[in-house]
Amino acid sequence: MTSDNFDVVATYQQLLIEDPELTMPVAAIESLILALGATPASTMSETLHLVQTCTAELKKSIRNPISLSAGTDLFQQYLISNLQQRPSEGDFDVIRKHLVENGRLFVERAKAARETIAGFGRHFIRDGNVVLTNGGSRVVGALLRSAAESSKSSKTPGGSIRFKVIYVVSSDDSNYTSSEAAENIRALRERDVPVAVIQPSAVAYCMDQVTQVFVGAEGVVENGGVVNRMGTYQMAMIARATRKPFYVVSESHKFVRLYPLGQKDLGIEQDVLIFETASGPEVEDGKSESGIDEGIVADVDEVKERERRGDMALARLSREEAIDYTPPDLISGIITESGVLLPSAVSEELIKIWF
Amino acid sequence: MPDANKDQSPKEQPKDGDSSLSPAELKKRAKAEKQARRAAEKEQRGAGGAGGAEASSSATPQANGGPREVKQGQGQKQHQKGGQPPQQQQQQQQQQQPYHRRSGSQGAQQMPVREKPGKAVAGAGKQGKKEGSKQVELFSHLYTHPRRTTFEGVSKDVHPSVLAFGFKMASYEICGSSARCVAMLLAFKDAIQAYTTPTGTSLARHMTSHHLSPQIEFLKTCRAISESMGNAIRWLKKLIVEIDPNTAEQEAKDYLCEHIGRFIQERIMITDTAIAESAAQQIKPGSVVLTFAKSSIVEKTILEAHEAGTPFRVMVVDSRPLFEGKRLATSLMRVGLEVEYVPFSGLAHAVKDATVVLLGAHAMLSNGRLQSRIGTASVALQAHRAAIPVIVCCESVKFSEKVALDSIVLNEVAPSEELLTPSSLATAHAKKEGEDDEGDKASKNAKTLADWRDISNLQILNLMYDVTPAEYISMIVCEYGSLPPSSVPVVHRLANEGGIAA
Repeated sequence: MTSDNFDVVATYQQLLIEDPELTMPVAAIESLILALGATPASTMSETLHLVQTCTAELKKSIRNPISLSAGTDLFQQYLISNLQQRPSEGDFDVIRKHLVENGRLFVERAKAARETIAGFGRHFIRDGNVVLTNGGSRVVGALLRSAAESSKSSKTPGGSIRFKVIYVVSSDDSNYTSSEAAENIRALRERDVPVAVIQPSAVAYCMDQVTQVFVGAEGVVENGGVVNRMGTYQMAMIARATRKPFYVVSESHKFVRLYPLGQKDLGIEQDVLIFETASGPEVEDGKSESGIDEGIVADVDEVKERERRGDMALARLSREEAIDYTPPDLISGIITESGVLLPSAVSEELIKIWF
Repeated sequence: MPDANKDQSPKEQPKDGDSSLSPAELKKRAKAEKQARRAAEKEQRGAGGAGGAEASSSATPQANGGPREVKQGQGQKQHQKGGQPPQQQQQQQQQQQPYHRRSGSQGAQQMPVREKPGKAVAGAGKQGKKEGSKQVELFSHLYTHPRRTTFEGVSKDVHPSVLAFGFKMASYEICGSSARCVAMLLAFKDAIQAYTTPTGTSLARHMTSHHLSPQIEFLKTCRAISESMGNAIRWLKKLIVEIDPNTAEQEAKDYLCEHIGRFIQERIMITDTAIAESAAQQIKPGSVVLTFAKSSIVEKTILEAHEAGTPFRVMVVDSRPLFEGKRLATSLMRVGLEVEYVPFSGLAHAVKDATVVLLGAHAMLSNGRLQSRIGTASVALQAHRAAIPVIVCCESVKFSEKVALDSIVLNEVAPSEELLTPSSLATAHAKKEGEDDEGDKASKNAKTLADWRDISNLQILNLMYDVTPAEYISMIVCEYGSLPPSSVPVVHRLANEGGIAA
């Protein structure tokens, strides 16, 4: 294996730690580029093979590869189309150099996308609006900050749009999420934007005060639906029931070639549903191991026990990391750096990239 | 032309009383006059054609009620037919009656008993109306000539392979959008090989219009061309036109045949395999797959999932008149799958058990709607109501730039007789045989469905397809991957207009 002397997974994790602003797909692309730069592949097929093995390693290393795979797939496709366009086999090093350089450019652009999106999205927020959002999405944070700062006249130092924000934060969120949410909340409060923090169970109660909902996304799937933190789906349903617009804010590199028809099609096992009796978790004869939503284990020891049992348990997402899928018919629009799209446009964008 | 006349006449009538007419009105009147004359001429000429006669029947009575000048301009025919007073008309019919025995469908319709007195004024269109009355008016645009079953009037240019395919298609021996497309292309291969370029022209310029067109025209008389066939024909025509005129004839023909072979391989065969593989992923362990009628690609998908070892069961919903699902159920049963064969009437119940609905397609329309065997829309509706995903398996060759909001504009009318049950046909046959037997006159007079041609207030409509709204479709699996219905136009442009395969 060419990637023996280069630890893609470690690079990926290092990148994420170093730059908290980096999203998973971009970090994945960047680590693939680094891998490409570090290993002396000399032919096209060798390069592709390298990228494929690295991708596989990366996907295997983390429990929720949806977001990551958006980046790796995109890079792979970019690579293939680039290699096909340049049949000059002779100076492969030049091609490789070009690829690596262009790849860097891509990463730069992806990082810049967030500001562009904030620019598009802040026009959705007007005076007197109440915005509902959840989780610690950085792009939503950027959007709200941008809206808070934007002013109709340049004379006033702060923003002139008066709006309020309701943040949905679950009390049992892991530190990781709540710190991100807390960071966003702090930033907004500093900019004189009143922020309320509510429990997920209070979403329906608050919804009649809300004018619109913004959520981030781990991945935007092919039919225009989104995969996001657990609870997004029910927020979308409540928003639909009360006829409030529900916007997804996402960079277009999070578009992923996945077509779920339901919650079970995400290909991820998560500890959400655990049926228990007085004698402990219910064990369905052999099936429970392969069942997707087996559930939460109340006992911490049992979680650890599970993890000890092997890969199966490791691949499951804990309750804090759990995700759900929101179907496209609940989504009013997807705000990306290339404009505000209808959910149906996602598939077209993906087709454009892939064919 | 007659339609225009229809529009004109009501406007004309009030003006009839006015003695002073403006030049514009006079002009208008002259125009109406001309139209009426033309309609009459058309009637004289084309009374035989069903469609034409239908139209003129509605035109003539109105011309009657129109201005006097129009009436005079109509000429002899008009006087003879429409100008007769109602009673006279009826008398004539009664006289005719004895000669027209029940055996003929035409004669029976002339029975004066069924005639309302007021209606007799419309007697002018009698001849036409008789043939037209068995056509449901809303769908009159879909009735072409009856499907060809004989060689009568076939152009001599039609290649035997194409002939054979045409008749097989008309008799449903080759049925299904993809199968028809493949068979047509194979027949065209033979036809292309049999072609010789006349001197003084080139293959690229001559073949499409003089050799291919008669074949296509012939096929159209056998059964309406499917969307996949249309796309393939368009592709082939483009291919022919793009041939360098300097290419040697045999070389060009071989080139075409080779490309046709590749088209079949790439756009249908390999594509089918790819779609089946991808769609089989949607069949999970423990799934209950519901499907309607028979689609070769759905069959392939189910077999693929079965071969992969997924435990699941299948429900085949089937309906009259073609009972295509029987063949699907049989083939699935043979490989050892657990199959439930459900009549269409049991659909609502079947949907309760299903976890996924797989459907084939006749065509995917550009507004994301699915055109498929009639009944599909009901299946999709039921599944949508039960929140079961509806997956359509469809090759991109069936994607169409057409748009339909209902099943009326784009459709195909099959012979009405197909809707009659074999038992009712049998009784009809028996009755015909025993016609001379005076014993059971009562049972003879009791009309059954088989006598539908004799029952003037009964029409039978046998449509082939219906249109399923895009909202009911969760996913379309094609060779470009899985798509939402909204992406149909994009893929259509990519596959059928971008010329990827060519």
